[in-house]
Amino acid sequence: MSDDKKIGDKELAAISVSVILFGGLVFHWVAELISTLDLLELAYGTVKLFNNPLVF
Amino acid sequence: MINELLLQFGQWMEAQQYSQMLVAGYYSYSWLEATHVLTLMISIGSLFIIDFRMLGWILPNVSASTIADRLHKPMMIGFAIMFITGFLLVYAKPVETIQSLWFRIKMVLLVLAFINAWVFNARMKAADGNWGNGSVAPRNLRGGAILSLVIWCGVVTMGRYIPYDWVDCDKTQNSTILWAAGCVDQLKAL
Amino acid sequence: MFNTILSQYKATLTVFLVLLVIVGLEVLQVRAAIYPSLLPAFEWLKNSTPLGYIGTTYGSIYATVQAMHLLAMGTLGGLVLTTDLRLLGVMFRSTPSEVISNGTHKAFKVALIVAVLTGIFCAAGVADKVYYMPVFWVKMLALTAGAAFVFLVKQPLLNSKPHSEINPWIIRGMAITSILVWFTVAASGRWIGFS
Repeated sequence: MSDDKKIGDKELAAISVSVILFGGLVFHWVAELISTLDLLELAYGTVKLFNNPLVF
Repeated sequence: MINELLLQFGQWMEAQQYSQMLVAGYYSYSWLEATHVLTLMISIGSLFIIDFRMLGWILPNVSASTIADRLHKPMMIGFAIMFITGFLLVYAKPVETIQSLWFRIKMVLLVLAFINAWVFNARMKAADGNWGNGSVAPRNLRGGAILSLVIWCGVVTMGRYIPYDWVDCDKTQNSTILWAAGCVDQLKAL
Repeated sequence: MFNTILSQYKATLTVFLVLLVIVGLEVLQVRAAIYPSLLPAFEWLKNSTPLGYIGTTYGSIYATVQAMHLLAMGTLGGLVLTTDLRLLGVMFRSTPSEVISNGTHKAFKVALIVAVLTGIFCAAGVADKVYYMPVFWVKMLALTAGAAFVFLVKQPLLNSKPHSEINPWIIRGMAITSILVWFTVAASGRWIGFS
């Protein structure tokens, strides 16, 4: 890597925090997606986004 | 007469299958509302940055016409999503929304906002090249920016009031409010 | 050699120390132990302060402050998108990214302060309800993490040298993380409204 884009202290700290924070947030959203799908399956018996079998 | 027509239109929409599906679905209405509100960040966000730049509050070293140019597309995409989700929200609960005083004021403000944007765009084209790199816009453009900020703050505030039932048709006896909100049946009963 | 590493990598070591402390606190269940003692503070906020009183008594004022919260959030979103999409090289490519990130930072601070102050008012009005909502605590965590990230990591790095001298993947990584963090704050906020 060329000298002027070397990874110094601040850069290393920044990328570490970014990776940890990004990883945590992705984990959170995937978990939300899974629990949402679970709830929809519970409500409808299958994953339906807009239909309500109780109404029709 | 207009109020009667709007109420009939609302009742017709309410009878539609898709309207009922949107409300009855487990998450559908919530997701629609969430998308409408969160897209504020794109639509209003872009718009406010353009307006703030006109007033010289932000990015003073970047040409205002560049900012307006680059943010135009995201802003339009944001507004398109706002309109589609907004229409679907009305479609899901048509009578309730059409007879909401706050919704009606919001629509009037939206029309004013678009007229202001039209005039503002015309003035920007006319002023283009004469001040683009200055940190503060000429007075008529500044006026348009302030008006835009005020109107859009009003739009968002009225939108926030819609779910509240303070002046709903069955909660008030004030004939002016009942007329303004199009509460046809309640006005007849007074 | 150890002293050299300590002096050359202060920021990185601080990050891992903070991470260690957080993990340690979780393992020792300090958060779970502190949680019950926060309830009196939340109840006090709702029942004994002017904020809570106004919020619970005057629905119109509460709704108006909520609208201000939304507007601040909208502004924040616009600023975050402008800055971070520039850092990703998607928008404003003809303008130096230093100019964009410096030119928006002050407005970002103002919008964040307004959002936090209006947020405190909104929370005070329903403090006893939000205390029990996991999504509220997710929002607070995301907000703290986001603010710490911007003020302690991202902005200091972006201000320390010309962006052309910073590894582009680090800049992109920070930009994407920033967008995701602020989106999480906004989305969990909306979720609170549904609960």
